[in-house]
Amino acid sequence: MIDLKFDNVSKRYIVRQEAAENASRHRIIRKIQSLRRAAREFWAVRDVSFEVKRGETLGIIGHNGAGKSTILKLLANITTPTSGEISINGRLSALIEVGSGFHPELTGRENIYLNGSILGMRRHEITEKLVRIVDFAGIQQFLDTPVKRFSSGMYVRLGFSIAAHLDPDILLLDEVLAVGDASFQSKCLQRISELKQSGTTIVFISHDLGAVERVCDRVLLMKGGRIVKSGSAREVINAYENDESQISGLLESHGLNGDEIAKIRSLSFRDSDGENRSVFKTGEPFAARVEFEVYLPVKDAIIDIIFYTPDGEIHCEFTTEADGEYPRITKGSGVIEFFCPELGLMPGIYHTDVRILQRGGVEAIHAKSRVTTLRVDPGKAGRGNFFMPQEWRLSQTKIIEESGVALLHRN
Amino acid sequence: MASNSVLPNQVEPSAAPRRIKVVGAPSFSPARLLSDLSVLSHYRDLLYTLSVHRVKVRYKQSILGVAWAIVQPFSLMLIYTLIFTFIARVPTSGNVPYPVMLYTALLIWTYFATTLTNATNGLVSHSHLVTKVYFPREILPLTYVVAALFDLIIASPVLLGLMFYYRVPLTFNALYAIPIIVIMTMFITSVALIFSAAQVRFRDIGMALPLLLQIWMFATPIVYPLSAVPERFRTLYMLNPMVGVVENFRRVLVEAAPPNFYELGISALIAAILLPLAYIFFKHVEATIADVI
Repeated sequence: MIDLKFDNVSKRYIVRQEAAENASRHRIIRKIQSLRRAAREFWAVRDVSFEVKRGETLGIIGHNGAGKSTILKLLANITTPTSGEISINGRLSALIEVGSGFHPELTGRENIYLNGSILGMRRHEITEKLVRIVDFAGIQQFLDTPVKRFSSGMYVRLGFSIAAHLDPDILLLDEVLAVGDASFQSKCLQRISELKQSGTTIVFISHDLGAVERVCDRVLLMKGGRIVKSGSAREVINAYENDESQISGLLESHGLNGDEIAKIRSLSFRDSDGENRSVFKTGEPFAARVEFEVYLPVKDAIIDIIFYTPDGEIHCEFTTEADGEYPRITKGSGVIEFFCPELGLMPGIYHTDVRILQRGGVEAIHAKSRVTTLRVDPGKAGRGNFFMPQEWRLSQTKIIEESGVALLHRN
Repeated sequence: MASNSVLPNQVEPSAAPRRIKVVGAPSFSPARLLSDLSVLSHYRDLLYTLSVHRVKVRYKQSILGVAWAIVQPFSLMLIYTLIFTFIARVPTSGNVPYPVMLYTALLIWTYFATTLTNATNGLVSHSHLVTKVYFPREILPLTYVVAALFDLIIASPVLLGLMFYYRVPLTFNALYAIPIIVIMTMFITSVALIFSAAQVRFRDIGMALPLLLQIWMFATPIVYPLSAVPERFRTLYMLNPMVGVVENFRRVLVEAAPPNFYELGISALIAAILLPLAYIFFKHVEATIADVI
């Protein structure tokens, strides 16, 4: 029994670009020119065919921009293919972004009905499941509070809980486990395996390779909009991890084109043995390595790596500017390594940007966005927002019994 | 969490029979139109839920609440009455007092204007939903139609009050108001579908809308009766579908007369042709909406 079928599916996006050259200064002329902006084709998914059997859990992995999310959007019917055909057998529920269907002004209860009906459920069906949804999310006291007053954790829990309790025939999950705390993540994974046991067909997209391996029966590896490998979870994940180009994954780059000065080649993360890795533990030695190419020497250069949370907020950065030194980079290829004796990031998924700038320059000489994803697993224990490298020494005052009073009244 | 024990270990498979859905490149065929309509009917609970929410959210955190549905046409009625009876003299239709004539027309005009003002931006303002989950997108503009219809119902008793005050008799002809509102709703729905879909690509629609509504209002017999329009312009004037609707809504409610079926027929015909075309256009735009919005 085939639940999902992709038959030679392609999806093309038209990317419009402002014509930078011969841009007129005059506002009206610029406006007219912008109407005939250069359009560039971009195939997010190209000739993809696959099938998912009933009850199977399929994982899709690949670096950013490989076409994973486009596949999910096509499956969820949010957008339509440019060519090819998709067959979906049964009720499909997609969790593309947790809580995206919430209306902030409405209460938790109203939002459950709203989300349920968006996913195609009837009101009485939702009523039947209300208790279970609320219990799983743990928001009993807040059921009649507008969700705009919810904490972000409650938001995430409710969102997952709704999607996972609507008993869809097919469930699509996109990077949902990247948010939420560790205990909720494991609860989610448990729920996913329950659904799996009951015969729900699941498509799971995640950077969390550990979770993919635990949950998925079969995994597709995508690259540049095409499926490059398909097979058992272990097999494909191994291939992915060994693929150097994954760790140094490159995405669309931007910067001053035309007169190229310098170009970032790759970013990779290494451990203390100099091995490339994309998964580290909090507190482990960590090195980030940027390879670049310089065509024209740059003086007062700045190279930095910015780490983002999955929500797109800047979390922290490595920058050569930190020490107030501005190196001169000369023609040819180069490598810069940032060393961090103990990784301070807490468990989670981090996206990265790499940039080469010139001191005082307005725009980066070259920048690559969302280059490589770094996953941090629990390591050295700790609570809070980051891990602080620490050493400690214990010293105690030796108390001599007879002179106990004397110690207090030292004169 | 303490509630872990409540979690059922087995998930019962859904009882409803599975439907096979095939998605291909956007194209038009009568079969697809039918399947679109059947999907829409499957999602009727969403239409209901969203419409209820639309009404609730609109009046939440406002002191007057639902009373705003009355305040709007009523204050317009006061202003226009002041202008068009004290400053400029505008004839009324038959011997109906001017405020009654005006309020009746404003009731149905407010239904039209409120729907369009909100629905035009209905898809764009829900881009967070449209790019993240699937449901038939026409539900979004439709909810604004339902919400404005709700406002119309809230504001209607005031008309009865006015009629009582001015001693205007209510007759059985008033029952014709129901089919008139049906025709009106068909027309509003068509315009809302077209505008909201066009707004996704061309935000100019939203910009031009206030002006368009202003012009449209004066091209409709609201502050003046149809009889005030010179005879030789009548035919051209009647091509505005709002004319037949507004004029006859007034005739059956406050003039105690049966509708003019010729005038109403023109409006009904235009609405009946426009609605399917608007729906096809909307579904055509819908296919790529998430890529453009």
